Amino acid sequence: MEAAGIATIALSMIPDLTVAAGAPRVAAIEFPFGRPFGQPNDAATQRAVLQGTLDALRDASRAGTVVHLPFEWPESPEQVHWHPKEPSPILQLLAGNPALFQRLAAGDIPPEASRRS
Amino acid sequence: MPWTPLPRPLSEATVALVSTAGLSMLADPPFDAEGERQNPWWGDPSYRVIPRSATAADIVALHLHIETAYLQQDLDVALPLRRLAEAEAEGRIGRVAPSHYSFMGYLLDPAEFLDRSVPAMIERMRAESVDAAVFVPV
Repeated sequence: MEAAGIATIALSMIPDLTVAAGAPRVAAIEFPFGRPFGQPNDAATQRAVLQGTLDALRDASRAGTVVHLPFEWPESPEQVHWHPKEPSPILQLLAGNPALFQRLAAGDIPPEASRRS
Repeated sequence: MPWTPLPRPLSEATVALVSTAGLSMLADPPFDAEGERQNPWWGDPSYRVIPRSATAADIVALHLHIETAYLQQDLDVALPLRRLAEAEAEGRIGRVAPSHYSFMGYLLDPAEFLDRSVPAMIERMRAESVDAAVFVPV
């Protein structure tokens, strides 16, 4: 998108990975997966996180800029519920197969990833 | 690393949102979670357009790796269209783009997504004079 003349910023809970993926501007936030802008119906926090992200977009002057947004999630990590009720299909597959997990962790993506079935 | 400066001041810029949450409008086909259940290595590489007026009541989220119940209650937790509309009304941004975008972020092989979905999203953004995109992984 940058190459097409569209400036981008990513709001990310995993900023290291987002930078590694090539995002030129990153606003980092320590919120749980699934709720990057805050809790449902918490308009004040959502507004502040969006504005922090837009400010970082406005102020970034070079590729590789990471701005850490100063928000704290109201629950302790033990209280946060972010996993889906049913583990994802790949986690179910890997759970009983450590060799497959090691293969994936090493970045060895099998050809099955490239087609539906 | 690619870099494009913001083409105009934020207060004059047209802004679009891009979510990895696998969001689709009720009228559109949902993301193919069944295909991923059959082949756990694969993820649906397509994308959907979400109009600026969309709310949680208008969308379906199919993403098997996150808890989607929160954004199904209040879309602004992941795709803050109402908060962005407030920024437009208050002059903090120039304009909310007519179209926003979602894809499903679990893509071990992103080739088809990069070859097809990304160019199509960019083409639509350019047609709608988008200056800046806020990318929101979930």
